[in-house]
Amino acid sequence: MREAPKHRIAEDAIKAWRLSAALVMVIPWILVIASFFLFHFIDVPYWYSIVALVVLVVLTYLFVVLVPKIRWRRWRYELFEQEIYIQHGILVVSRTLVPMIRVQHVDTKQGPILKRYKLSNLTISTAATVHEIPALPEQEAAELRDQISELAKVDEDDV
Amino acid sequence: MSEPKRLHPAAVIFRMINILKNLIYVVGAAVIASFGNDFFVYVAFGIVALILFFVVTSVIEWLRFRYSVVDDELRIEQGLLIRKKRYISKNRIQSIDLTQGVIHRLLNLTKVQIETAGSDMSADASLSAVTFEEGQALRQELKWHNGVVQTDESQEESEVIYPKSNVTTKRLIIAGSTSGSVGVILGLFIVFLNEIERFLPGNIYEGAVSWALAQAISMLIALVVIILIILWLLGILGTVIKYGNFEITRYDDELYITRGLLEKKQVTIPLKRIQAVGMKESMIRQPLGFATLYVEIAGGEAGPNSNGRTFIFPILRRKEVEPFLNKILPEYQTLPRDFKGVPNRAFPYYLLRAMFLPSVILIVTLIFAMDLWYIPMILIVMAISLAWLRTKSAGYHIDEEHLTLTMREFSKDTVMMKHNRVQSTQLRQTLLHRKQNLATVRASLLNNFAGRHVSIRELDFEDAKRISDWYSLRKRIFK
Repeated sequence: MREAPKHRIAEDAIKAWRLSAALVMVIPWILVIASFFLFHFIDVPYWYSIVALVVLVVLTYLFVVLVPKIRWRRWRYELFEQEIYIQHGILVVSRTLVPMIRVQHVDTKQGPILKRYKLSNLTISTAATVHEIPALPEQEAAELRDQISELAKVDEDDV
Repeated sequence: MSEPKRLHPAAVIFRMINILKNLIYVVGAAVIASFGNDFFVYVAFGIVALILFFVVTSVIEWLRFRYSVVDDELRIEQGLLIRKKRYISKNRIQSIDLTQGVIHRLLNLTKVQIETAGSDMSADASLSAVTFEEGQALRQELKWHNGVVQTDESQEESEVIYPKSNVTTKRLIIAGSTSGSVGVILGLFIVFLNEIERFLPGNIYEGAVSWALAQAISMLIALVVIILIILWLLGILGTVIKYGNFEITRYDDELYITRGLLEKKQVTIPLKRIQAVGMKESMIRQPLGFATLYVEIAGGEAGPNSNGRTFIFPILRRKEVEPFLNKILPEYQTLPRDFKGVPNRAFPYYLLRAMFLPSVILIVTLIFAMDLWYIPMILIVMAISLAWLRTKSAGYHIDEEHLTLTMREFSKDTVMMKHNRVQSTQLRQTLLHRKQNLATVRASLLNNFAGRHVSIRELDFEDAKRISDWYSLRKRIFK
């Protein structure tokens, strides 16, 4: 476990994550812009709105620009015959090992945003844990899913 | 045992008791609300009708409930309006528990609960009342790997003496008097005394009125002390009743536990279902050299306060643990004593985590009640020592087959797991960890409480890598 896993996830993941983060950010932006108008009428100093705006700009930069990029850069996975090796994290980097014989089932999932970029998430479940490899190209995700479910068919051990 | 059978008629009584337990509040409320006015007759009439209705449905339900064992399957048919059939294959059965409540024991009956791997909290099949012999026979029949050499079994049974272990009443009293609730009670008691001390001097100088008040307060203290002692004794009694006559027997492929003075419980734990063996040494018991042994099993009914764990021995001396495992569970007899600990540079992290809550309390106290500053200070001192203890307790040990992690929340918990029982491992590092060459290791286990994650925080990175290398099948094969 000295070296990081080899494969990266799709580069479009950054775009997809940025889009979904941006969509989430729309609501606070509306609120802040609305506050400028509202405070104008109810006589609250603009000062509050300006602070909120600055905070929001910083947060938007963090969550829309920076985080997806770092997240993508950290996300790696590698498939071995006996196990799946995953690395992810932004500040906390974790590396996970899931043996094939422990895999109970594999799913691929795709929301509207991921669909736009032809990506899908792969979820690997063991009896006790769930692991996700996000934003893989559709084709690759499907292949991986089939491959894992094939490899996971190793002799039936208990639970 | 092929033709379908009914439960013992007493099942109707148990069913009724259950229904009445659920109804008692509604019925009670209706009676109280209508007592003395004109509706009372109607309410009484309604209640009688309701009870009659439930008697009839319970009887019909009893008539409809049939069970049989066919082709290695337990088949249960039941249902009044909706017919339900449930077939449980023998080799999917996780455990078979026999429980005898007081009524059961009077009538020589037993309740049979059959569990499969599903992580739902309730039993998958439950026979509320069968004769005790029938229950034993069912258990025998539904166990795995029997029936192959049925004829030899009676001979073997008499020759092979299976290892057994009992617990003495004296030990149970120790267990009860050192159980976790004692700590809580003592803590409350100390806080209470503290508060009282603050109040007393203020009251004494006030003269006669306050003398009476002080009397009242000392009466109150005495009362509280008496109540605490009674609670404590009740706790001991509870433990003795719950674990009285505890006996664990090791059969070829299962553990068999019987316990209970009033309610007798027989629990079967198939060895195949054991995910890990754990040893818990609570803060009170550890200095006295006592420990508790438990197993994590997949599936089964989760008790209300057992965290899904099943005790395989309620209390024993630390030095008796190895002989006990050697006798009862040799698969886990190598429970290690020497652990590779976490480095001293991990201490600041442990300190930070332990200090968080006390610091918040200190700040709040300083703002709102300056003169009580010493209470959070005591907490902080406790937190520092706890952090130190945690740093010193954390560690791991690996041998060819087992990974053993030991850690402390309050109690020291040592978990020994086999390689093929660990569901996945995770190695986590923050940026700071990476600079300091530390990593947190987490091993995930399956139990009947939706999984358990055992982690050792801030291990040396080399050790963390050793653990994940040990876990990696790829590395094991290519080694």
